Amino acid sequence: MADKSNDPVAIWQNMIGEMEKGFNAFANQAMTSPEFSRAVNQVGGVTAGAQKQLGDLMEKYLVSMNLPSQSQMVGMAERLQSIEGQLNEIKALLHQVHSKSGASDGANPAPPRPPRTKRPPARGGEPK
Amino acid sequence: MNAAAGLDLLSIPDRIQSEVQRAIQRSIKGVEYISSSGPALGSTPKDILHVRGTMNLYHYRPMADEIYRVPILIVMATTNRGYILDMVPGQSFIEFLLKHGYDVYMLDWTAPGPEEKSLRMEDYVLDFIPDCIRRVQQDSGETDVTVIGYCFGGVLSLLYGSIFADGPMKNLICFTTPIDFREMKLFQNFSDRRYFDVDRLVDSVGNVPPEMILSSFEMLRPASRTASQVQLWENIWNDEYVKSYRMFDRWATDTLPLAGEYFRAITKDLMWDNKLFNDTMSVGGHAADIARIKVPILHAVAEHDHIVPYDAARHLITKVGSTDKEEVMLKGGHVSLVAGANAIKRLWPRLDSWLGGRST
Repeated sequence: MADKSNDPVAIWQNMIGEMEKGFNAFANQAMTSPEFSRAVNQVGGVTAGAQKQLGDLMEKYLVSMNLPSQSQMVGMAERLQSIEGQLNEIKALLHQVHSKSGASDGANPAPPRPPRTKRPPARGGEPK
Repeated sequence: MNAAAGLDLLSIPDRIQSEVQRAIQRSIKGVEYISSSGPALGSTPKDILHVRGTMNLYHYRPMADEIYRVPILIVMATTNRGYILDMVPGQSFIEFLLKHGYDVYMLDWTAPGPEEKSLRMEDYVLDFIPDCIRRVQQDSGETDVTVIGYCFGGVLSLLYGSIFADGPMKNLICFTTPIDFREMKLFQNFSDRRYFDVDRLVDSVGNVPPEMILSSFEMLRPASRTASQVQLWENIWNDEYVKSYRMFDRWATDTLPLAGEYFRAITKDLMWDNKLFNDTMSVGGHAADIARIKVPILHAVAEHDHIVPYDAARHLITKVGSTDKEEVMLKGGHVSLVAGANAIKRLWPRLDSWLGGRST
């Protein structure tokens, strides 16, 4: 049998694994420094600020073009969500009434629920 | 054999032939990989019991002739999709539970919309979870419910359990759940209060974008994505490897945005003030001291978890008020603890043997 220490594929795989570990450890060490946190958050802060300014500008532009802005769409989504919630409540109520009446809904009825009588297996593998 | 070099010279032609065949297979399978989609995930039959904005409550159809009395509600982490627990048949935690006679419900999340940026911690802990518990009780006809929380779903479950300490939670199982956020060293540094202006971020973007969540996870192991792609290329001839890679890669990159106010509370209360660990946490004016939790609890942690290091999770069991409590440390990482081959042979049977006797 070939020795793994001479198997070029095994050597390559081992090398990739070691490089990954080494780089991750090095990067993790670098990322624990306060300088890293400051730099990352400065970049993140600038990006977030720019995004907000662009959003505000776009909102004004859309209003002037007589197009719905994001806040208007969000308002619409909230109303839709509320309608969806009410529909779900109605659906749940209908489902309850339906199951109480014992009727079948035809297309894809849920199978009857099994009894809740299961006991855990005893140590020998048989139920207690 | 050349003993000195440890090299079997006779095996070299076979080895070359095998490598050439693999190289050909790589080219063929590489094209297939690009042109095809991955396996269908999360396909265990289920009914949607309730949907409300970001919240989805599923009930999985039982697979056993007889089930345990106490139903299970799984609370998924708010950053990721629940199908990590329901990959494909044979590798699905949900399917495992169903086949072992459990009645399973899942509280899963979809991306919160812009209109949900104002969702707060109290919406999750005092509204979504109790609402799902009520619906599980109503649907199952049982008062008792076992709650299983994965990662931050575990934190939400702990908060819920500490506020609703008088029931109806009967058992609590947490997977890789942090409570000492000082020990999440890199996340601590990323959110250093001297440099990270969470108010500015949330006020600017509303919901925290999934790309930001994903990059903060990937920064914990910055070389791993490249290394895994190299490994994928080496193993692309191996269908099982590719299938597994695609499942986990799809899930790992399918990150959810976080509601802005909720993220603000996580940053300030947990990352900065470490309130859960310091017993000063409150949600919507309710004290959330985990010492109030008295139900049987199992906490499963992973030996090589790079997202929730053991030091961040280890105090959970000592701090809860339960007398019936157990921590199990298993080999694996944050994800392989709960899904994949490692979980099939380690966590799942362990959980079944713990929970079965407490589910009657």
